[in-house]
Amino acid sequence: MSLTIDQSPPIRNALGFRRRSKATKAPTALSETFSTLTIGLPALIAFALLWEVAPRAGWINALFFPPLSRVLATLWEMIMSGQLGEHIGISLQRAAAGFVLAVVIAVPLGLLMGRYSLFEKASDFLVQTLRNTSQFALLPVFILVLGIGEASKIAITFYAAVFFLLINTIVGVKSADPLLIKAARSMGTSDWNMFKKVIFPSAIPSIVAGARLGVKTSLFSVIAAEMLAAQSGIGYLIQHSSLMLETDRMYAGILTLTIIGLLLNYLLVAGERRATHWHSSADSGPN
Amino acid sequence: MERIAVSELRKTFTLKPGQTITVDGITSNRIAVLDGVDLTINRGEFITVVGPSGSGKSVLLDVIAGLTEATSGIATIDGLHVTKPHARTAYVFQQYALFPWRTALQNVEYALEVRGVATAERREKARYFLHLFGLKGFEDRFPSQLSGGMQQRVAIARALSTDPQVLLMDEPFAALDAQTRDILQSELLRIWEQIKTTVVFVTHSIDEAIYLADRVVVMTARPARVKEIIDIDLSRPRELDVRNSDAFNTYRGRVWESLRDEVSKAQRDWALASSYAN
Ligand SMILES: Nc1ncnc2c1ncn2[C@@H]1O[C@H](COP(=O)(O)OP(=O)(O)O)[C@@H](O)[C@H]1O
Ligand SMILES: [Mg+2]
Repeated sequence: MSLTIDQSPPIRNALGFRRRSKATKAPTALSETFSTLTIGLPALIAFALLWEVAPRAGWINALFFPPLSRVLATLWEMIMSGQLGEHIGISLQRAAAGFVLAVVIAVPLGLLMGRYSLFEKASDFLVQTLRNTSQFALLPVFILVLGIGEASKIAITFYAAVFFLLINTIVGVKSADPLLIKAARSMGTSDWNMFKKVIFPSAIPSIVAGARLGVKTSLFSVIAAEMLAAQSGIGYLIQHSSLMLETDRMYAGILTLTIIGLLLNYLLVAGERRATHWHSSADSGPN
Repeated sequence: MERIAVSELRKTFTLKPGQTITVDGITSNRIAVLDGVDLTINRGEFITVVGPSGSGKSVLLDVIAGLTEATSGIATIDGLHVTKPHARTAYVFQQYALFPWRTALQNVEYALEVRGVATAERREKARYFLHLFGLKGFEDRFPSQLSGGMQQRVAIARALSTDPQVLLMDEPFAALDAQTRDILQSELLRIWEQIKTTVVFVTHSIDEAIYLADRVVVMTARPARVKEIIDIDLSRPRELDVRNSDAFNTYRGRVWESLRDEVSKAQRDWALASSYAN
């Protein structure tokens, strides 16, 4: 008897998503942040100094580039008067509404699409097409259909986040270990429990990674939308101050956005760590 | 008396598009794995199964577990045709199959959880089985924080927590180092002596097969049939050094004798397959 087996190579998933490797987990979040700070600080200070000195020395036009100290003073005033807090609150609310809506729709849909290949095949083409349509290009459509109010802003943030979440949920579901599914099946796991106790937890690291990308694009999309059509929010603040040539207010807005972005990123990374806390090999016992 | 009966079991897989297999010059997309397996296993028996790798041992266990449908023939447990996973059958895998996001305790609880056992009761039971395997103090560790031997102990504890009548084990110790393997074999026997559940244990180690078994089942190369069943008449409880006895040595010779032709047949197949591949 002679025998040959031909096997076409395995298909890798498009994003090639894998969980964080063990090695990168070793230093604690705190010490990591600290060392980034000490190494990165000189460059940051130099940049701040340049920002302060250049307009004062007349190297650049102080009307377009007010010195940092003036920007900070304005920022302080805006914080104290409560205006800034109001704008921040409104922008965050819009981003959060769109993002939460995206989670509520994308995660269940992604679980189904990842699990049932027919479902995915049927919708894949549509998803790919929509995914490659920019949310900014669609803003006029949203405004046309939903009006200039909150709904169109929520729609754009929803659209910005939903595909990151959807695709990463699908990838997460597909990355579920077939052996775990087999073991669960052998223990009499029902279809519902398979989703709840096996597939979904397997997909969480990927979903959380998608959420991290989604939150950021949600926030940036709402800022852009506010620049184009709004009477409130950080985007409006930046755009309106620019039109009024109140450049110190404009920079205060930009700086606020940067700080929010940094904080958000830090929170999301910490959240991602928490979601995959079990994936550590800190110490292993004897045999 | 009889617990598991497998009769005339055949299993043919249809390969995925793009895969073909050539047998005796005929190319096909179907692969015959089990070719009329007959086997009857009694209550409380410890059966080990040896056979060349790729012969279909795992597929046989999958059919008994109700995870794979046979192409023809049937497997029964207590006279009932197995068509889906049986509540009193447990399965242990070579790669442990622990949920990485659950602690040791939560992993053992899982099997009881999906059966709807109340929290307090299943926690107590899970704790009991972990302690039985010497894992006191490791309840809250995640699998990634446990050694291979400990992970497999957790997996076996999980399997036993549901009080199974049939315990299927697919090369459970194959990934462990020799010492850990010896220890786990003895632990498994010690616990099995107490519960006397019916065990079907697949291994590629002849020593392991003889040391554990009441009967060793030798499978042929694929497509697999039962080639020979060898009764192991060594007294229980067995100590590890039974492996140095003359009787054990004789069994070793007999099993190897039976297995040798099948292994070389399987090797010829693989050699051919790889020469074609080049
Ligand atoms: N789902 C499947 N589809 C196609 N072939 C399979 C499938 N499962 C197992 N096989 C084939 O069946 C044969 C026996 O596999 P297996 O039972 O895993 O062997 P082993 O005796 O080493 O446990 C192998 O050649 C394997 O390629
Ligand atoms: Mg196998």
